[in-house]
Amino acid sequence: MNRINIIILFSFLSFQIHAQKYMGVNGEILFYSEALLEDISAVNKNVSAVYDATTSELGFQLYINDFIFPKALMQEHFNENYLESDIYPKSTFIGNVLDIKDKEALVEGDLTIHGKTKKIKLFGIFINNIDSVYIEAKFNVELKDYNIKVPKIVMYKIAEKIEIKVKIELKEIK
Amino acid sequence: MIRIFFVISCLLSSLVNAQENLLSILDEDEKTVYIYYLFKGTKIVNSQSVELNSKGVLQFNIQHRFGPLNSGKYNLYGLDFSQVRLSLDYGINEWSSFGIGRSSSLKIIDANSKIRLCRQVKAGFPFTIVINFAAYIKQWQSSEVEKEDFILTNQLSYTNQVLFARKINRNLTLQFSPTVVHYNLVEKLNEVNDKYSFGIGGRQKLTQRISLNAEYFYQLNDKRNSNVLSLGFDIETGGHVFQLHLSNSSDMIDPKFITDTNGEWLNGYIYFGFNISRVFTIHN
Repeated sequence: MNRINIIILFSFLSFQIHAQKYMGVNGEILFYSEALLEDISAVNKNVSAVYDATTSELGFQLYINDFIFPKALMQEHFNENYLESDIYPKSTFIGNVLDIKDKEALVEGDLTIHGKTKKIKLFGIFINNIDSVYIEAKFNVELKDYNIKVPKIVMYKIAEKIEIKVKIELKEIK
Repeated sequence: MIRIFFVISCLLSSLVNAQENLLSILDEDEKTVYIYYLFKGTKIVNSQSVELNSKGVLQFNIQHRFGPLNSGKYNLYGLDFSQVRLSLDYGINEWSSFGIGRSSSLKIIDANSKIRLCRQVKAGFPFTIVINFAAYIKQWQSSEVEKEDFILTNQLSYTNQVLFARKINRNLTLQFSPTVVHYNLVEKLNEVNDKYSFGIGGRQKLTQRISLNAEYFYQLNDKRNSNVLSLGFDIETGGHVFQLHLSNSSDMIDPKFITDTNGEWLNGYIYFGFNISRVFTIHN
């Protein structure tokens, strides 16, 4: 019996090792919102992602306070009042690549922002080379889906819909 | 039988964890999480907080103090008197800032510099530590210079502070502010030139945009001065921060309000005041 256990354990370990995985840590996510006084945009250049080619699972992760704004006050309000990065430090996406055609892929999964999770489905550029994967996508999120409240009277009033652009290159994990 | 069950449960749990495992390889080097935004403003009430202006941000402050509450209805309980301090503060880089200001009735020009030595880290270093140096010069008139005993350096005083602050939770921050004020010239007989005091301050957020602030300075060696208690509200409206407060000192600069306050709350020496600050991003 012991031997069977060990064999099962090893088969799992070996499965882990042989899975073809890709990983990237310097991805870029940009968001853009039209606002009354001035448009608001911010960029996060520390986005990381994993893609498992054997299971076609795809995951993204970023830290909210890595978003850099052109104005420090916007950044403060973003972290303190809107995204509450002290409580919800990370935002993640965990999903599956459903279909790859040419250089485009259909991806579906759970996007978690501000502690709220919602299923999203989108098309994006997906270029799978031998030792790397390049991903680029553009989609919109609605603030109300993630329980992000915008006060009525505020200088940097932001739109209900935010445009998000993602760009990342993943390298094969050897 | 138990063993088979164990193996099956292991398999099941590994399946359940599969999704989380996908991202777990990204978490190998968990990054240091710094604690930000300990206070809304660069001041608690009158005294400096551990907050600095961000790099390239210029802050314009208008500070206003009325007279004492016990000055009677003829003076509308102090509202007839007022003094103003105008100041500019600029964030030089991520860890230092510089400011200048002038107080109206005192005729004192001041300059200060704040340097952040370290930040509080989540599950790590417990404090954000900032040092604050400030120098004050009392303006003079040409008739005073002609007097024989006029010495320029007598017009100067200094404040040195080490500020330790800790964000206890997302709403509550506490700060300790040991302070030394040095006067080149003191006015009374037997008065010390170096005055030591210990400050305690804090803020409690009441809502996302309003916080209650308080600070208390305890005199360590010069007991002739009163201990100073100030209470205030910070109201943030985007680009502006409004601060409304009550204090037993009417002054806005460290050497005056920390070590030159004579009134007591219980005797009605309560001064109402407000600050308005506005930030401008000068340089990205």
